[in-house]
Amino acid sequence: MKAWLTALTVLLCSGLALALGGAMLALPEFAVRLPAQVTANLDTSGVSHPVTAVLLNFRGYDTLLEVAVLLLALLGVFALSRHADEHAPRATPAHPVLQTLARLLAPLMVLVAGYLLWVGAHAPGGAFQAGAVLAAAGVLLRLAGLLPAWAQPGRLLRGGLALGLLVFLAVAVAGLPQGSLLHYPVSMAGALILLVEAGLTLSIGLTLAGLYLASAGAKR
Amino acid sequence: MTDFPDPLPWLIVLPLLWGTLAFLLGPGRGGRLAIAAIALQGVLALQLAGQLLDDGSRVYAVGGWGAPLGIDLMADGLAAVMLLLTQAVALPLAVFARGYFAASPKGRELFWPLTGFLLAALNALFVSADLFNIYVTLELLGLAAVGLVAIAGGRQPVTAAMRYLFATLLGSGAYLLGVALIYGSYGSVSLAVLTPLLTSEAPLAVTLAAALILTGLLLKTALFPFHFWLPPAHGGAPAPVSALLSALVIKASFYLVLRLWLELFAPLATVAAAQLIGALGAAAILWGSWLALTQTRLKMLVAYSTVAQVGYLFLLFPLATLVPLGAADSAVQGGVMQAVAHGLAKAAMFAAAGSMIVATGRDDIGRLGGVGARLPLTLFSFGLAGVTLMGLPPSGGFSAKWLLLMAALESGQWWWVAVMIAGGLLTAAYVFKVLRRAFLPVAEGDRVTRVPRTLEFSAFALALAAILLGLFGAPLLELLAVGRAA
Repeated sequence: MKAWLTALTVLLCSGLALALGGAMLALPEFAVRLPAQVTANLDTSGVSHPVTAVLLNFRGYDTLLEVAVLLLALLGVFALSRHADEHAPRATPAHPVLQTLARLLAPLMVLVAGYLLWVGAHAPGGAFQAGAVLAAAGVLLRLAGLLPAWAQPGRLLRGGLALGLLVFLAVAVAGLPQGSLLHYPVSMAGALILLVEAGLTLSIGLTLAGLYLASAGAKR
Repeated sequence: MTDFPDPLPWLIVLPLLWGTLAFLLGPGRGGRLAIAAIALQGVLALQLAGQLLDDGSRVYAVGGWGAPLGIDLMADGLAAVMLLLTQAVALPLAVFARGYFAASPKGRELFWPLTGFLLAALNALFVSADLFNIYVTLELLGLAAVGLVAIAGGRQPVTAAMRYLFATLLGSGAYLLGVALIYGSYGSVSLAVLTPLLTSEAPLAVTLAAALILTGLLLKTALFPFHFWLPPAHGGAPAPVSALLSALVIKASFYLVLRLWLELFAPLATVAAAQLIGALGAAAILWGSWLALTQTRLKMLVAYSTVAQVGYLFLLFPLATLVPLGAADSAVQGGVMQAVAHGLAKAAMFAAAGSMIVATGRDDIGRLGGVGARLPLTLFSFGLAGVTLMGLPPSGGFSAKWLLLMAALESGQWWWVAVMIAGGLLTAAYVFKVLRRAFLPVAEGDRVTRVPRTLEFSAFALALAAILLGLFGAPLLELLAVGRAA
């Protein structure tokens, strides 16, 4: 029975792989040229980096929902970790070398995050990259035993986690009188994108760090 | 702009906002905020439906860019019907959930924020006109639903939640693969841009993409044989969660299958594919009803009943594909009516089941004795919901099955009629199995306590709505016709 099932799975997967390969070889020319449209509208987007323009302006609505997905992922971890068993790894006694290193690196990482946030307007960077660096700092501090795990996030922490989404929602709603959700006036687009990205950096950093801090050693 | 505030964006922003605020307020808080906000969402959905009836379907360019550069929202009659159903089910369930978690607090910490995000995902999904944006809403919906299944904790719910997570991720993955193939073929993900392109030329990659997208969505809708994840997830969660999942969440992926089949993928639709989907639906009706009949736990019985009722939804595909226009029309009307009737009735049934479990202290059909005497209104609601599921007049379920029957006869496909009748009889059998037990006197050593009135009345409101749908279904069908090529 088991062998049958495996054989069937292998057969189906290879069939799909072959079909995908065949389909890829016969792809037609694009009928719609989106990159050209992005370039043509870059001037009015408020930023000069096309990826940031797509993420925060042209398709900012997708990003708004994705930010909610991130927060939701953390809520899922909270739901599971409240019932985490006692086998969760306990915080190991910190090593002095690691602690010193972490103390030196963490401020630098915050600086790098700030730089990535700022540079996103015209070069690769932005809130997600900056948030990831912040989160890495949080994980590092936790590993060095300098940060406690989150059993139950307090009010301040919840505020930080929700800040990015709330700022994004506020900016989205502020566009409504201008004509539509997430409509930025051209003159203010750059500033609004930076505001949203600043809020997102903090919240994404906390959320990603939380995925680790809430699940690792919730029992202290 | 016709009105201020414009209901379309607010239907998405509002639940996101109150979901986040409920999280900020802290564990278990936010119930009253949620009820007020959902009531407001109901008003917005009605306002939107009124706009559509007056001016026809509308397109909304988020950010003012317009497709294909930006993302468009599109609201037509079908979307409006689903929006109305969502708010109409969510409001009584929110009232129910407040009472339920007061009586049985297990899992209440994260219920409100997760429900806010769940409703935002549903509303956003129904009005999305962009294949990739739909993927994002599916992610939001799937993660919120998995989180809700897990909130009660314990080995069984968490196992069910993980299994559900893998099933829903596999479905999303297949969907995303399909979207990538379509973008690779045409260079756009906007439905409005793609529809004419697909009609003029559809390479092999697009046929494959359609198959992947539809299979992924069928997995998320739990159509037989992809139903394996549904009963443990829906049967193991707290009652308000089971009701939300069975009434609304699976309808979202069904809605996408329906919309894509009728619009984007219409040039690719074949009779063979439609008959296959219909056959899976028929198998779901018979197999799901049979398994429901053999259950000993009340919530599992109701969950298997969902597996069966999902089957009816898919009977519309063979009845609406490449058949005379009149038959196709009544098939679509019947399918959508079934989605609405089942949504209301199943929410009522899970809510009533939840009250009975709170009252008896256990989830066991054999120990329901005394419920009829102590919780008459709850049992009455369960019975009314059962009437809708069986398809007896004058319920909404009757209208739905009647429309499907008409379509089957008009298009000369009598075999689906036999399946529908057999399914109705099996449904009657498992509903009466519960009712018979509940009318027995209390067994020796068992206790049946009273439950808060809000629990009883919210279930009754849902069950009554499912019946009234049959009597006053005409305006709904009129709304459904908005934006559909006659």
